[in-house]
Amino acid sequence: MVIGSLTDWKKDLFLNIKMEMKTDNDIMIEAKGLCVSFMVQRHGINNIKDFIITMGVKSPFEKSSVLRDLNLTVYKGECLGVMGRNGCGKSTLLRTIAGIMKPDKGSIKVNGVVAPLMALGVGLEPELSGYENIRLVGTLMGLSKKELKHSMGSIIEFSELTKDEIELQVKRYSSGMMARLAFSIAVATMPEILIIDEVLAVGDLGFRQKCANRINEIKDAGSTIIYVSHHLEEIKNICTRAIFMEDGRISLSGNVDEVCEYYKTHLDRKVATPTILA
Amino acid sequence: MTKFSKPSKFLALVFTLAMKTLKLRYKNSIFGFLWSMINPIIYLVIFTFVFGNVFSEIDRYPLYALTGLVFWIFFSTSTIQVIESIINSSGVLKSINIPTIAFPLSAQLAALISLFLSMIPFMILMFIFGLRLTWESLIFFPVLVLFTAFTFGVSLILTSFNVYFRDMQLAWGSFMPAIFYATPIAYTASLIPAKFIWVLKLNPLYHFIGALRHAFYYNTLPSLGEAGILLVVGLGPLAIGYWVFNRLEKGFVSQY
Repeated sequence: MVIGSLTDWKKDLFLNIKMEMKTDNDIMIEAKGLCVSFMVQRHGINNIKDFIITMGVKSPFEKSSVLRDLNLTVYKGECLGVMGRNGCGKSTLLRTIAGIMKPDKGSIKVNGVVAPLMALGVGLEPELSGYENIRLVGTLMGLSKKELKHSMGSIIEFSELTKDEIELQVKRYSSGMMARLAFSIAVATMPEILIIDEVLAVGDLGFRQKCANRINEIKDAGSTIIYVSHHLEEIKNICTRAIFMEDGRISLSGNVDEVCEYYKTHLDRKVATPTILA
Repeated sequence: MTKFSKPSKFLALVFTLAMKTLKLRYKNSIFGFLWSMINPIIYLVIFTFVFGNVFSEIDRYPLYALTGLVFWIFFSTSTIQVIESIINSSGVLKSINIPTIAFPLSAQLAALISLFLSMIPFMILMFIFGLRLTWESLIFFPVLVLFTAFTFGVSLILTSFNVYFRDMQLAWGSFMPAIFYATPIAYTASLIPAKFIWVLKLNPLYHFIGALRHAFYYNTLPSLGEAGILLVVGLGPLAIGYWVFNRLEKGFVSQY
């Protein structure tokens, strides 16, 4: 017991020191006044002629803002838990960090290569075998031929797929097997920033434990992780800090337990009235 | 900074995607690649039976028709596949930061590889029909580059608009037969009344098919004027296509 608490105490101290030592050089992600919006088609396009004439200058679509004046700083080695009700802008925030969506206003700086794990089985081709899919999705994730060759063994090993299974067409996989394959490819190389968007809920208990271990390894290697989940326990286990998002803004940022408590008391959906910027 | 700013990685991505497309196309089919040859051969048989007698003054008619058909098929399959390429990859594009253009490019590359593969059996067939290869035939390569540039430029415009309006893909399928008959594939331009020949010349495909026949049918080189037209008609649409794509790309993500 004594030893246990001592190490805990040491860990806390270490964490505190680490927290205080953060400098501007350690900033991995910095968002300032970030506004991101979607284009929505409110009443359809009346004619294609107008679209062509105003192409790129004026949009026939209306903008609906998702992120509104969001500020966020994530430091190197942090594991940030992101919580919030459905539709509050979590995925949009992740997409903006991954560079898929561009901000309308404000700025976002990302210092490093992002490995996004946004949805289950992205890029997996059902007709191809697991092995072929590793090469395909690996390339999509930005691995070079050399890196792929190098990490092929460890990807297969990590996915816990047997030799027969890896030769099988992916359409014959269960969703858990697909999740294992997808996760294994995403964490094959040590990404500088790893984004995980509620994708790990499908694997079996053993694999989830393994994922958690791997995430810790990645964290210990100095990578930064953004983790979206509705499982408070997962957030508590993995994350070092958490934010709670409401209506496109961060309403609370801080200690994991604190944010989890806040989440529990904010179960009523705050009805966001979509502002149309036109 | 993206993972694909390195040209070698970008090219590897385009190539991998193209190979995937080719692999998938003939998966689960017994005759696989052979099917891609059936379509032009059916056309060839129809042409020879229906028009063979009408156009009996055309020397080596089957060869004449086949040189047109093979490249027409290249044009039509390229455009059809590139049009769908972006929208079919929306799942990937909204989850991973990949340069969007990799998808239309890979579809075009796949069509080009298909063309080269189908050229092997078709060349044999062309030899049977009286093909002669001479030094002039080498003009095929630069002409093909320009033809591909033209095809890709047109497709890039279509695929960009197709993200917003799925009409493009539907409309293009309907337009295709019209373009086919507006191009001298089964007939020669000399059969068109002289006062309407300018209409034919407005069709870029007229120039490309003509130049490709220089290589495989007439065994002559295109004139300087013709070469100039090919350059403009090849690179112009490519430039316009890229410009349109760039302007429309920003809004793609909202449509996925």
